[in-house]
Amino acid sequence: MKRILPFIIILVVLGVAVGSVVYMTRKPTSTAANQNQSQGPAAKPSPTLGPVKTGVPGADPPHTIGPANAPVRLEEFGDFECPPCGAFHPIVKQMKEEFGDRLHFTYREFPLANHDHAIPAASAAEAAGLQGKFWEMHALIFENQNRWKTEFDVKSVFEGYAKQLGLDVERFKRDVESDRVEQRIFLDGKRARSLGVNSTPTVFINDREIPFQMLPPETLRVLILDQLKASGAQQK
Amino acid sequence: MVSVENTDFRTSTRWIYVLAAVFALVGLIDALYLTVQHMAGQSVPCSVTGGCEEVLTSRFSVVASIPLAAFGAAAYFSVFSLSTLAAFGYRIAGKLLLPLVGAMVLVSLWLFYLQAFVIRAFCQFCLLSAAITIALAIIVFFAWKKGS
Repeated sequence: MKRILPFIIILVVLGVAVGSVVYMTRKPTSTAANQNQSQGPAAKPSPTLGPVKTGVPGADPPHTIGPANAPVRLEEFGDFECPPCGAFHPIVKQMKEEFGDRLHFTYREFPLANHDHAIPAASAAEAAGLQGKFWEMHALIFENQNRWKTEFDVKSVFEGYAKQLGLDVERFKRDVESDRVEQRIFLDGKRARSLGVNSTPTVFINDREIPFQMLPPETLRVLILDQLKASGAQQK
Repeated sequence: MVSVENTDFRTSTRWIYVLAAVFALVGLIDALYLTVQHMAGQSVPCSVTGGCEEVLTSRFSVVASIPLAAFGAAAYFSVFSLSTLAAFGYRIAGKLLLPLVGAMVLVSLWLFYLQAFVIRAFCQFCLLSAAITIALAIIVFFAWKKGS
């Protein structure tokens, strides 16, 4: 017995290790699957999505692209300094090009506390939004993420972007520090917390959370097509 | 059938290997945590050093499409297995530990260099792993000295 005991210990540790990795990386299925049954065949989204959540309203008006009555609504809670959010930015662009007016996209601010420049970046985007250039600033900040995230003085970098976009820089500087911008970020954060968001990017499709591992374009495209199909079935 | 059990195996050496197995288990948990986070694509909270995302999403975090942390988990599991066998008197396992842990120390030093001078950010979970590897090297060297 003593001779085989170490092998038993090793096998038990191996089993626990493999089991915990499998358990922790499994896809959430049960909640959504149960919900699908109660909603009937008309709403038949993928079983990997989270339950429908509405939450409290965020900043008003939100930053959106696409018609409000589009059959598919994507809502992202993002942090400009988070690398996966930077990687998700071109995916959104690609989906907009592919689906056009059938897609409505909303971006919500959710700067994480562990990112030093996340709040200044969100403030810069919101301040640009007050001059009607939110999406332009949003794109510049994400596309240059690797450049400014290591800078010490990011404010001057964002002021440079404001100048590049033709904004009134003096007004931009005042707006970045304004209560209005702070309030918008706070309200988006409040909405995020009411929806149980705790990491970025967290993306909802028609009010249901998309598991992070389904955000690459090939899986996101399938989800959007599923939702389009479901909305078509509902109209009949 | 090769009998490797040594009846003269000293109790103190046995406990040194048990200690090595415990350290390897902590290293295994650390590496598994990072592997799971990598596979799930989640942002790893980094409360002490603040550079986890930079390190864990850097181009060095994946080797041949496999997260580096998974290699770490495999290495720690090997150390755990060999230490456990050595604690039960399998001397050959004790001899294999030294080169394995030596290689792990070299890899840890390389990864520390990458964090300090290339990525310029530190990840607390990676630093913990490096500390465990150094501790393992000391323990295994001590056991080897006692055993030889």
